[in-house]
Amino acid sequence: MNTKSVLESLMFAWGEPLNISEISKILDMPPQSITHVLDEMIKEVNNNEDRGLIIQRFGSSYQLTTKKENYEYIQSLLESTVNKSLTTAAMETLSIIAYKQPVTKVEIERIRGVKCSQVVKGLLDKGLVKEAGRLDKPGRPVIFATTDEFLRHFGISSIDELPKFKGDPDDKDDMETA
Amino acid sequence: MDYSVNINVFQGPFDLLFHLIEKKEIDIYDIPIAEITDQYLDYLEEILQFNMNIASEFIFMAATLIEIKSQMLLPKKGKEEDPRQELVNKLLEYKMFKDISEELKKYEDESSCYFSKPREEMALTSDTRAEQLYLNEINVYELYNMYLSLIKKQNFKIDQEEKYKVYRETYRVKDCMEDLAKKIKKFGKVSLFSTFKEKGSVSKEYIVTLFLAILELTNNKGIRLYQDNKFGDIIITQERK
Repeated sequence: MNTKSVLESLMFAWGEPLNISEISKILDMPPQSITHVLDEMIKEVNNNEDRGLIIQRFGSSYQLTTKKENYEYIQSLLESTVNKSLTTAAMETLSIIAYKQPVTKVEIERIRGVKCSQVVKGLLDKGLVKEAGRLDKPGRPVIFATTDEFLRHFGISSIDELPKFKGDPDDKDDMETA
Repeated sequence: MDYSVNINVFQGPFDLLFHLIEKKEIDIYDIPIAEITDQYLDYLEEILQFNMNIASEFIFMAATLIEIKSQMLLPKKGKEEDPRQELVNKLLEYKMFKDISEELKKYEDESSCYFSKPREEMALTSDTRAEQLYLNEINVYELYNMYLSLIKKQNFKIDQEEKYKVYRETYRVKDCMEDLAKKIKKFGKVSLFSTFKEKGSVSKEYIVTLFLAILELTNNKGIRLYQDNKFGDIIITQERK
């Protein structure tokens, strides 16, 4: 079995981001070795100028996509591109969840100064956030965290790639006391 | 008024306050509360003329601003915290996430430059030679063989032990009803326990059938049932007309 070849075919057939654990089951290989092979493939494939496809990593999922450089050509082929951008309310809420996760709805509402139930529900429906358990405090409120789909939506491989706060990038803890 | 902007543009009271602060190029650490409060209230009033469904959060912020304003008027007692401090902290925290969300918007735009395709629709069997068959074209044996091969392919485990034997019933409710009716007519009353005793050894099936027969007879009326205590003997008598 040629692992790289199989992986490429799997990603093509699946289309959507394919999770490592899924591949691990199919190939009967430990997830770490698959991650290793895939990272190697990313180096080989993504740097090859003659190819039109690249492999992108979103958390623990991998996906075949087209190259950004070819965007305008693809756009002229497609009649209209679907606008999948989020509303300002959704973006603000998502930012808070991304940087403070896991976080309760009350905390999000405290920062935004407005009710967020509908917005959070919308983000849950879109699969951009998930319920990540409950806080061990009175009322046991649900806490929210971002998903791999969130990473895919913003085209980043992990939460670490999120833009840093202005000023001291390590200021993240200070905002709790601010 | 030059700030006639739709309320929907603002994500909340913090957003509106920031709009006012930035417009006047005010130092956020030294907000002229009186001025900002007036502007905020003017703004709110204008919106209320057009839209009564203003979110309560905006009203709450107005109250907060007025409270701070009145606190500012009071003489300071020693090292008391600036009454604006809490509001400023909240504003800064909100601003931080607002900036971040605008930054993330760029990421979102960038990621929309990558295209991917939807998942393939996988058939249940990956057999590409599979052809369309019509039920009336195949006989029952072919169907059976297909069923077997499908079971084998899908690795379904069929439990061979799961077999049930259907017995012919030894006693019938109808017969028992007739027997009982005859006995009641003959003796006037019948004891359930002695009926069992007559039989010698009784099977569970007979007990159940006889009991059903009694219930059935009661349903048809004409008999009466007596039982002195729980689990005691049941006496069946003819109903007196």
